[in-house]
Amino acid sequence: MRRQFRDTVGALAAEDERVVVILGDVSVYQFFAFKQAHPTRFHNMGICEPTLISVTAGMSARGLHPFVHTIAPFLTERCFEQIKLDMGYNRFGGNIVTCGASFDYAWDGATHHAYYDLPLLRLIPGMEVIQPGSEHEVDVLMRSQYANGRPTYFRLSDHPHDLDLGPVRFGEALVLRDEGAPVTVMTAGPLVATVLEGCRDLSVNLVTHHTLKPIDRATVARFRDTAILVVHDGHGLREAINEVGGLRTAYHGLEDDFVGGYGTVHDVRAALGLDPAGIRAAVTRFAEEMS
Amino acid sequence: MTPNPTALRAEILRIAHDSGHGHVPTCFSIVEMLCAVYGVMRHDPARPEWDGRDLFVLSKGHASLAHYVVLGALGYYDPGPVARFGNRGTMFGCHADRLKVPGVEVSTGSLGHGIGLATGMALAEKILGTDRRVYTLVGDGESNEGTVWEAVMVAVDRGLDNLTLLYDDNRSQGRALQIPNPAERLAAFGCDTVGVDGHDVAALTQALTRPARGVRAVVARTVKGKGCRTLEDNMYEWHRKSPDAETLAKLLEELHAPAV
Repeated sequence: MRRQFRDTVGALAAEDERVVVILGDVSVYQFFAFKQAHPTRFHNMGICEPTLISVTAGMSARGLHPFVHTIAPFLTERCFEQIKLDMGYNRFGGNIVTCGASFDYAWDGATHHAYYDLPLLRLIPGMEVIQPGSEHEVDVLMRSQYANGRPTYFRLSDHPHDLDLGPVRFGEALVLRDEGAPVTVMTAGPLVATVLEGCRDLSVNLVTHHTLKPIDRATVARFRDTAILVVHDGHGLREAINEVGGLRTAYHGLEDDFVGGYGTVHDVRAALGLDPAGIRAAVTRFAEEMS
Repeated sequence: MTPNPTALRAEILRIAHDSGHGHVPTCFSIVEMLCAVYGVMRHDPARPEWDGRDLFVLSKGHASLAHYVVLGALGYYDPGPVARFGNRGTMFGCHADRLKVPGVEVSTGSLGHGIGLATGMALAEKILGTDRRVYTLVGDGESNEGTVWEAVMVAVDRGLDNLTLLYDDNRSQGRALQIPNPAERLAAFGCDTVGVDGHDVAALTQALTRPARGVRAVVARTVKGKGCRTLEDNMYEWHRKSPDAETLAKLLEELHAPAV
């Protein structure tokens, strides 16, 4: 997804002189061409995430369209107050683009994992929160949202899927299967590919969200009369879905604990039951409990 | 027109009394700095959004009352309603909201934010190729926050010679984390730094207009509660306090007493 981010921002910058890139000394190698093409609009500003956000807000205040980028936990959790006040409360827009979440840095442990970013940023009034699942979604959503004056969060992954799930429009969930089943599985981001595999031969409805704020309430409400299992490798999606009142929901993903294992993203997901087999077992169990 | 600092202080005292709110000593330490900054800035009180304006960010947002009083005296708005400072229905909160108060560029309050925003604004003006200048005023207590120093490092690294940092050295942190040598520290961080009497408008004006290489830092030596003996001698007691009627009369008397 970082390559797609580079390509999309490069294309936007060629057309729009207000596009600026600010890096926290991450993904720098991806932006050599951008730096060559737009030297005054490329700033590798160092490892000072709160200031990266304040500077982003200040640039937005003066009419630019900044993209600020580094690793997810540092640019969101460490900087929550800068995002809340400098961007949110001040109504200064800008694009926060992260890498690493949830477990792209699986081998580094809990300091580099990010599963609180989505719920934290969803709390901020006026904030848009996007978890693309594919590079195509990155491209479409970045182009449609980057200059709208709002603070927008793009949570990128190094493990996108490459499925064509239908037309991508900001704020609209994708209904992948509507079988009239009593159980609906809802997910978000790249994990949808794993969810599809795990549910391949199960009779369930299936919905994925790339936009967590604003959540697509109409689509969620359409499945109000089913039991909804939220399958997600982070927090935030179940809270978003429950903005729609009167639902019967449960969650399969993280426990109330730090994720302590190492290995690859697949190892960590498997340990959490977020591999195809684990998801299949969780959905099957949920369907039995609900029947 | 440059407002009269003593008259501004008297107005701050009266509003602190009427409203029941106010960080009076920290306001008193920056009155002359505000007069000097607005004296050198390009701005138009009749057109707060005028595109040709320079920008000022009050990073130490606790001194909002001083900023409100100065903006009112300059003609940004009718100063009368500032008396409702911090009360229900006012637009003048104890920390400023830029969406409510004309002339306020950034909503501040939590310390260590405004300087980073000002740095972003100054960098944006460089990218846009304008000659706009950006000024920000930080406190010494605020400078306990690491983000102040992050922003200084970034501003210096980006060569922002359109950014001026005013540092209010009122020694508010005498009982906690002190910064005994701010001018040395700012110079060591790469700012073109000058120290000045922060209650001397002419000296401040000179410091703000002299040629500078890179980020300009003006370390203003100030007195918390400047002008009222009671506040100067009891700055911790008065950090956040509203004077009652009797105390107000006493403070006004101290303020107007001839300097010894």
